[in-house]
Amino acid sequence: MAAAASCSTSTRSTGSMVVAASRNSVTSFQRRGPRASGTDSGCSRLVSIAGTRPSVRNGQLLVSTGLPALDQLLGGGLAVGTVLLIEEDKYNIYSPLLFKYFLAEGIVTGHTLLVASAKEDPADILQELPAPLLDDNCKKECDEDICNHKTESNIKMKIAWRYQLLPKMEAISSSRFGHYYDVSKRIPQELIEASKWHGFFLPEKISSTLNLEPCSLNHGYIKLLQFIQNVIYEEGFDGSNPQKKQKNILRIGIQNLGSPLWGDDICWTENCDSNHSLTKFLYMLRGLLRSSLSACIITVPTHLIQNKAIIARVTNLSDTVVGLESFIGSEKETNPLYKDYHGLIHIRQIPQLNNLIYDVSDVKDLAFKLKRKLFTIEVRENF
Amino acid sequence: LRQVLVVGEIVDAPPLPCGGAGQWVVTPSEGVRRGTRRILEMLESLLALGGLVLLRDSVEWEGRSLLKALIKKSALCGEQVHILGCEVSEEEFREGFDSNINSRLVYHDLFRDPLNWSETGETLPGGPLEALRALCRRTDPGPVTIALDSLSWLLLHLPCTTLCQTLHTLSHQDSCHGDSSPGEQVHVLGLLHEELHGPGPLGVLSSLAQTEVTLSGAMGQASAHILYRRPQQRLTHQTQWFSILPDFSLELQGGPPLEPQPYPDPRVPSMDPTTHLTFNLRLSKKEREAKDSLTLPFQFSSEKQQALLCPGLGQATSHIFYEPDAYDDLDQEDPDDDLDV
Repeated sequence: MAAAASCSTSTRSTGSMVVAASRNSVTSFQRRGPRASGTDSGCSRLVSIAGTRPSVRNGQLLVSTGLPALDQLLGGGLAVGTVLLIEEDKYNIYSPLLFKYFLAEGIVTGHTLLVASAKEDPADILQELPAPLLDDNCKKECDEDICNHKTESNIKMKIAWRYQLLPKMEAISSSRFGHYYDVSKRIPQELIEASKWHGFFLPEKISSTLNLEPCSLNHGYIKLLQFIQNVIYEEGFDGSNPQKKQKNILRIGIQNLGSPLWGDDICWTENCDSNHSLTKFLYMLRGLLRSSLSACIITVPTHLIQNKAIIARVTNLSDTVVGLESFIGSEKETNPLYKDYHGLIHIRQIPQLNNLIYDVSDVKDLAFKLKRKLFTIEVRENF
Repeated sequence: LRQVLVVGEIVDAPPLPCGGAGQWVVTPSEGVRRGTRRILEMLESLLALGGLVLLRDSVEWEGRSLLKALIKKSALCGEQVHILGCEVSEEEFREGFDSNINSRLVYHDLFRDPLNWSETGETLPGGPLEALRALCRRTDPGPVTIALDSLSWLLLHLPCTTLCQTLHTLSHQDSCHGDSSPGEQVHVLGLLHEELHGPGPLGVLSSLAQTEVTLSGAMGQASAHILYRRPQQRLTHQTQWFSILPDFSLELQGGPPLEPQPYPDPRVPSMDPTTHLTFNLRLSKKEREAKDSLTLPFQFSSEKQQALLCPGLGQATSHIFYEPDAYDDLDQEDPDDDLDV
């Protein structure tokens, strides 16, 4: 009786326990997510910063360069903490476009910008950024371009039947990483005002009447490095100030580095006193970048640098190097092989980050074309 | 108010057959009208972009007269003109200008006493750099033209980066005045002697310039190859043949008188290389249809699939006929049976 009673009580208790269990939904597996209480929000959650994604190859955090085709060539994007060096084309027509794409991508994804130039006021550079294309608009633009291509290629493909299986170069990316831009339109003013940016215009920062004693590093470069360091420290991109707000990426853009407007002599003569200014600057810049959440784009007029050894050193000191060669003014302008394109694009270097092998794409013969609205990079078809 | 720029047409010299007159007849008044329109267009187009206009000359084709023609044009348009004279004396520079223009020119003389040895106080203190900086700091409103005669002299006497930075500030002065209407442009005309400098300085100054004029010529006729770098637009260039009159006005020419060249005789028919071939380069309509309807070997179409799945009639009719000859051993037994293993 007692056993039965105890049994019944135990069943009742287990029943109540079961009821209690179903009420609390307590199991040994806890789901970590937004519902979990935010006591330790920093370490238990994955760092997910807007506009970045981890690389599928080595897990490195990547940001988009603004051109999805270029992202694909660089192995998914530009790694955070690295430098992208653009070797300018001869008349500096296309390299400012890549520079502006990078900055526009920063504005659209909400990153902080730092624009440094000795030639133009950073506020003017920001006014000239291309407007982002909304998703359905950009699909329409890309589709009509692809349609134009397809009608021609159907005729040619009859003989070259194997090439139908080759993957196309256009990158189909999700709208959160890598956006399309319309070069013929300017970015809306509201987007610029909503974004956070710092500008460094060299003539304002250095007064030319000072008699500065020569030192190993150019004064313009010293000022720029100090400026970048201040921004990184004050805004907490290197983790020094514990950030209460969401982590963000700093996108740095430096235009025409190495030109005499920065006070550098390397474009002037082969052997000059300040041969090492630019290389030292790049070395220190890379140190700053590696210890902070930032990515940098630099354009250098390498066609003006007289000493080839400096070009080689500059290339080695940067992580990713992309060279632009435009056909304007050269004999290739009239060459029928190149009639569809405006220039060639050379991927000179891709970094080996935590890897033993490079992340090189299969195609090396790349050409670019600036259409009215888009800047496209294509494999040069020569069959 | 400066007008919208109209770029002059590219002048094509028509090929003159040897000893003959021109192929089209142009009435004199029409020619003058067309010529004056082109004159205005060339000088206007050189000055329209603003910024730095680089005149590259050489020993054979000197550029000072073109510089003076541009100065005269600017003065007649009512702009203030400042001249930094380093290579020739002031009297020599002012020669050829009439008094109307001479009164408008503000001449800064660096030729007579560049290092201020005479200490009379007439020369500019601080040398050329201070003179340039004073021009940068000037606050008078209105369009202004600054002529540097010559940039080569300045390059040889000033540190290069300082000169580039100062030139950049000079040519972009309108942006710091707030409103940059086209009438408030600053023109900086720089005369550069190409042969004095290496590729480095020439490349750097070309990249800084908005308009670049390279003077050359043929057969006694001067030509200017002009390169326009409009911001965010494609590069345009044109070549103009011209000559400068003694009063520093520009006259455009059609081109140098050409030497009689052997003209290809159009009556001789060119050989068609596709005749008399042993292979066929063209397809007839039937052949093209046959080619289009051909299925390519490795393409897996439905017909191929059917052919593979259902064995056709053709396969049933194949037999193998074998006739043994004297050396064949048709013994079906295993020859290894004899072995005593």
